[in-house]
Amino acid sequence: MLAPFGTGADLAVAKLTRLTYAYPGAEVAALRDVCLEIDDGLTVVTGPSGGGKSTLLRVFNGLVPHFHGGVISGTASVGGLDIIAIHTRQLARNVGFVFQDPELQTVYNVVDREVAFGLENLAVPPREMAGRIEEALDAAGALHLLGRTVRTLSGGERQRVALASSLAMRPQVVVLDEPTSQLDPDGASSVFAALLTMVRQGTHAVVSEHRLEPILPHASGLLVVEGGAVTAVDPKTWPPQTVSARLPRQSAIGEEAWSLANVSAGFGGTVVIDRVDLAGRAGEVVALSGPNGGGKTTLLRLIAGTLAPLSGAVARRPARIAYLPQNPAALLHRPTVRSEVSFTLTRAGESERPEAILDELGLLSVADRYPRDLSSGERQRAALAAVLPGTPRLVLLDEPTRGMDAVARARLVRLVARVRDLGAAVVLATHDDELRTLLADRILDVSGGRVIEKTRAEVLA
Amino acid sequence: MNARAVAAWSAACIFIVLSTTNPAYKGAVLVAALAALATGVGLHRMRGLLTAVALMAAFAVFLNFVSAHLGATVLFALPDQIPALGGRYTLEALAFGASGGLTVGAAILAAAPFSLLLASHEVMDALPAALSRTGAAIAASLNLVPAVASSFVQVTEAQRLRGWRPRGPRSWSEIVVPVVLTSVEGSIQLAESMEARGFGSGQRTSVKPRRMQRNDWLLAGASGTALAIFALSQAIGWAAPWYAYPTLTPPPIDARPLIACLLLLAPVLIWRSRS
Repeated sequence: MLAPFGTGADLAVAKLTRLTYAYPGAEVAALRDVCLEIDDGLTVVTGPSGGGKSTLLRVFNGLVPHFHGGVISGTASVGGLDIIAIHTRQLARNVGFVFQDPELQTVYNVVDREVAFGLENLAVPPREMAGRIEEALDAAGALHLLGRTVRTLSGGERQRVALASSLAMRPQVVVLDEPTSQLDPDGASSVFAALLTMVRQGTHAVVSEHRLEPILPHASGLLVVEGGAVTAVDPKTWPPQTVSARLPRQSAIGEEAWSLANVSAGFGGTVVIDRVDLAGRAGEVVALSGPNGGGKTTLLRLIAGTLAPLSGAVARRPARIAYLPQNPAALLHRPTVRSEVSFTLTRAGESERPEAILDELGLLSVADRYPRDLSSGERQRAALAAVLPGTPRLVLLDEPTRGMDAVARARLVRLVARVRDLGAAVVLATHDDELRTLLADRILDVSGGRVIEKTRAEVLA
Repeated sequence: MNARAVAAWSAACIFIVLSTTNPAYKGAVLVAALAALATGVGLHRMRGLLTAVALMAAFAVFLNFVSAHLGATVLFALPDQIPALGGRYTLEALAFGASGGLTVGAAILAAAPFSLLLASHEVMDALPAALSRTGAAIAASLNLVPAVASSFVQVTEAQRLRGWRPRGPRSWSEIVVPVVLTSVEGSIQLAESMEARGFGSGQRTSVKPRRMQRNDWLLAGASGTALAIFALSQAIGWAAPWYAYPTLTPPPIDARPLIACLLLLAPVLIWRSRS
């Protein structure tokens, strides 16, 4: 398929021609016959989970095929450099890359050293480094972080440091793979602001995102990646995402299912939750909002009983708990997605067929695949399928929509609504405003040790 | 605080405790290391380390006590027929074991500033330029350690809520497999990130490490002097050795090697708490 995009080959920042790529051992190509040109400014990449977005982005800096191996055909160039012939390490000065997880791209534990890492690798003279570090941090809106220890930074601050680390090498193009998927709204806004500033200052950017609203108005190009095929679309014609309607409740809210009485909790002398009184009922959905590090996960762990409170009392009805941790990989250890579901059902003594929930989450096509080989969005759904089959009575989901596209989110909403209607008490820790709108009976803001009930308008404000 | 100055101090401490059998000097180094760490780290952050050191030292004492059935002062005896444990238990073996415990404790405390006081990049900066790439790789891998620890907690909690209970070694595969796989995936992502920033692309430069300040030179000088005086004392015979056997005697003490050990208290005057 030929999807011409841009103003012409001579001016293109990046150009792929009839590019087909398959990962080592894969029967199906991850990218198929891709033809595209990327122009100046901001190019947004979108499409369903598992469609090939991350693979496409990795072509731009040569991680595909040089790091991942596999079979590649066709041609690909960035700034006139042949990506297939030149190794990623050599392309680093032309193409910067920011990954999804801010925690897994940090080499050093101090901000300025972290930003200097690429400069050291490019053999930049030491006397030039200080200036370039400050310049890059400034461009990423992170100059105030100079000298800070990385582990003390929020997720948004870490991503801006990662962006600065790329910018310090003064690349022609910066590629960002879902850079805000793990950030709270403030963190995401700060990363988008830095990204748009960088583009205005003349650096080209290619960004993969599911939530297009904040960046699409500024985009010069839009690529839709689905099933390994890439289609160029005029960003102005891309329809805005429609918010689904709230699913009507099929059963009434029941008796109290869990409660916290004057509970405090924390780690290493730091109080994260401070004297909180809370309760949730069967058939009720409680959404926890608040910044990264505010205490949402701590609250979920308290309700689940995996974290003992420092003081106060936690009570819950004795029943099966379904708990989705923030990192879905924590659950996945079976050879197939189907066996992950069967494993939970067998342990819970339930007779439901695994295919039921796999179908509900759109995972039947990958039911016999190794769950860790899936894309991040599919993996998240596989983890949900592993915890939610049957009839859990207490459902605790930590950032359940991470890495999910709109279709997958809609499936999740239907599934949670069904579980709720079967009488489960549901608690969601989420930054996803749409999810809160569609499901939450109550929204609790968790921040600075306090838990305050808020209306949706207050949360948005 | 410069890592090279800290390295000089650690090297002097470790040289003394490993080169003498005299518990008086080992004890002096242990006290100096303890005081230095308490100054730089703060006692509250040392609790875990001190517990570990105490356990290891106690093990060294115990091992010598139960295995060396030598010495004149018999505390009690077990029948010779008991394999390995049978025989006389002596005060001399206990004292010699305690001396070994001092060696273990002092050596660990002397090396502790590298993990408790210095950031990984500060340690790597102290390496010669030829090892800078290796140093960066080590610094990166050290950054993964906290991720592995938090992954273990997450996996254990998640699997427990899926019905997992520890029932023998095989049951742990449900925990160990996801933790190992998650760690491997984390390492691969970090390697991708390093590669994407040109790691391994060729000749490398390095951010200028923090230069030695006056206090760093003072510490390095004090440590070098301590090491030289003690080595000289050993050569001349001022730092006499000590043996617990056959009959327990107090260790001989000479002021000159003792002064060398006391020079290692220099960090108490130089370091400021980083807690």
